[in-house]
Amino acid sequence: MWTDFLLLMKQEMAVIAMIFILLFMKLGRDRSNESFMNTMNVLLLLNLTLGFIGNRDGVLLNEMFRTSKLIALEKNILNLAMLIVSLQSYSWLKTHKHVPEFYILLLSSLLGMFFMISSGNLLMFYLGLEMSTIPLAAAANFDLAKRRSSEGAMKLIFSSAFSSGCLLFGISLLYGTTGTLIFSELPHLISNNPLQLFAFILIIAGFAFKISVVPFHLWTADVYEGAPVAVTSFLSVVSKGAVLFVFVSVLYKVFSPLATVWYNMLFILSLLTIIIGNLFAIRQENFKRFLAFSSIAQVGFIMVGISGGSDVSTASVIYFVLIYVFSNLAAFGVVALVSSVTGKENISDYKGLYKTNRTLSWVLAIGLFSLAGVPPTAGFFGKFFLLIAGAGKGNYLLIGIAALNIVISLYYYLRVVKAIFMDANPTPLQPIRIPLMSKLAFVVCIAGVVTVGVASPIYDYIYSLIAQMQ
Amino acid sequence: MDTSAIIFYAISAFTLAMGLMAVTSSKIFRSAIWLLLSLVGIAALYFWMQVEFIAAIQIIVYVGGIVVLIIFSIFLTQQAGTKMPKALLRRTIGSALAAFFGLAFSFNLINHYGFKSTGSQHFNASVSDVGTQMLSTTEHGYILPFEVVSMLLLSAMIGCIVIAIKPPQEHAEKIGTKPENVSSPEPEEEKVTENISEPLITTEV
Repeated sequence: MWTDFLLLMKQEMAVIAMIFILLFMKLGRDRSNESFMNTMNVLLLLNLTLGFIGNRDGVLLNEMFRTSKLIALEKNILNLAMLIVSLQSYSWLKTHKHVPEFYILLLSSLLGMFFMISSGNLLMFYLGLEMSTIPLAAAANFDLAKRRSSEGAMKLIFSSAFSSGCLLFGISLLYGTTGTLIFSELPHLISNNPLQLFAFILIIAGFAFKISVVPFHLWTADVYEGAPVAVTSFLSVVSKGAVLFVFVSVLYKVFSPLATVWYNMLFILSLLTIIIGNLFAIRQENFKRFLAFSSIAQVGFIMVGISGGSDVSTASVIYFVLIYVFSNLAAFGVVALVSSVTGKENISDYKGLYKTNRTLSWVLAIGLFSLAGVPPTAGFFGKFFLLIAGAGKGNYLLIGIAALNIVISLYYYLRVVKAIFMDANPTPLQPIRIPLMSKLAFVVCIAGVVTVGVASPIYDYIYSLIAQMQ
Repeated sequence: MDTSAIIFYAISAFTLAMGLMAVTSSKIFRSAIWLLLSLVGIAALYFWMQVEFIAAIQIIVYVGGIVVLIIFSIFLTQQAGTKMPKALLRRTIGSALAAFFGLAFSFNLINHYGFKSTGSQHFNASVSDVGTQMLSTTEHGYILPFEVVSMLLLSAMIGCIVIAIKPPQEHAEKIGTKPENVSSPEPEEEKVTENISEPLITTEV
């Protein structure tokens, strides 16, 4: 029994252990920020490698917790993203007063995501979701002296409270009509009646808030702009990825009786999300707002993939999230470094960046190319697989509009690339020395962007894990 | 309509009315007191359902704990006595309509669902049953959520402390003169953060 617990929950245990190590280190003698960050980076690396060893399938505690090789892989993707975020925040955190608390908050949020991904029960799912957002709201306020940071945190906590309200109302209606919260029992009890449809809509609204699908996206840009860049990248990559993983499994498993309903819903929502995300991204001047709207558009593409409703869709979504981790974090890493050194966050400040910072320019450009889906980079393959998965349903209108929007998105991504490489600027940013940690993170991101697309074993591996589950 | 139903409607009306007062009152401290009464109404509903233990918990945790916390944080913000600005008529009408149609919509759905009555069958869970179930690892055991909530509270507490703690003066000035602050000419305020500790707790429990 106990070995079962330890082995199946090892990823959660590892995160909890890290939280407590941090607490004890904080309580002990004064340590420098560097020593905290180095310890954490080593521990996160250990955690990542540990995640690949000895994963088994299993269910614990009356389906409150379930795990499989696929779930372990999803958690590892998040672990990897967490490690990259931690490496990238090095130059920002160096002078910050609350380094251990920052890590504790991010790790608690990660822990919540792990429980959420592993949940087989709506109660655990809800708890995990709350645990993944509440610490992040505190972390969004981490630029303590900045008013915008507080504003972002307030917006995040209010919008997440509202979305939790929707979600809870939906869950309670579902519980009232079915009498169970367990994922494996729910599909037999759900049918097409109006009350359960309403509950379903409320639950989807809760999800849509968290991954900022269009009618529920209003908080995204403000929170992304206000929060420190490290938290923004965590929000846009890690928490979005985690909710997407759960979204897929909840839609496909729990709500399988409502497949036509959610297909139509995804059809409309994904188009809205892509189009509005794209249109607003075009007119952004602040780099973080720009990346916020670009991430909204990316979620739209992911939803096109989800609408396929097959094993291929699940595989392509996980694959895309992995690519998204690399490409988005490459872009965010550069923004984080530039903002922590110079304090500048506008796209116009990046004009002529190539003259002074060649490495940063290339990293940013490759990241943006991958986000745009330009062929040799991984982003192209990711989007390609998503569209193929979405095309499985034979709705070519959806695929056509989505493909057209890839072209539109090229415009605004390349606008930034043009600013970096071609626009003349008499006063370009000063040359920035890249710290070792950021260098490591960039190398990982760029290696990911270049190899994940071309290396077919990765996609095959994800697909084989999903095929095993059947 | 028998006595039991009449009592139910009376309690519900009380709870809703208090909730309405809490939302519409223009003094924030009074809102908190109305909220307290509304929560007492919910405890009364539990009594009506004869789950006395849950009712007691409702009173201890919500009335005794959460509302007191809310009142504490109201007094910490130093603006407890000031009247909040009156809401725009446009907004009042809009939110009243939204609430009305939301209520009508969900009432209609629930009314037409055809819930089966469980009759007069009471569930009598003793306190010891509740306690055992909460910490049990077997069928219907809730040990995992119980533990996860404790981790959540730990992180919420750390988050609150970090936000609410006052930075030493010279540090604040150093950050304050950084160039990124050009966009916000107003002096930096720490006050905003006090409010955050409140939803951090109330949204959760």
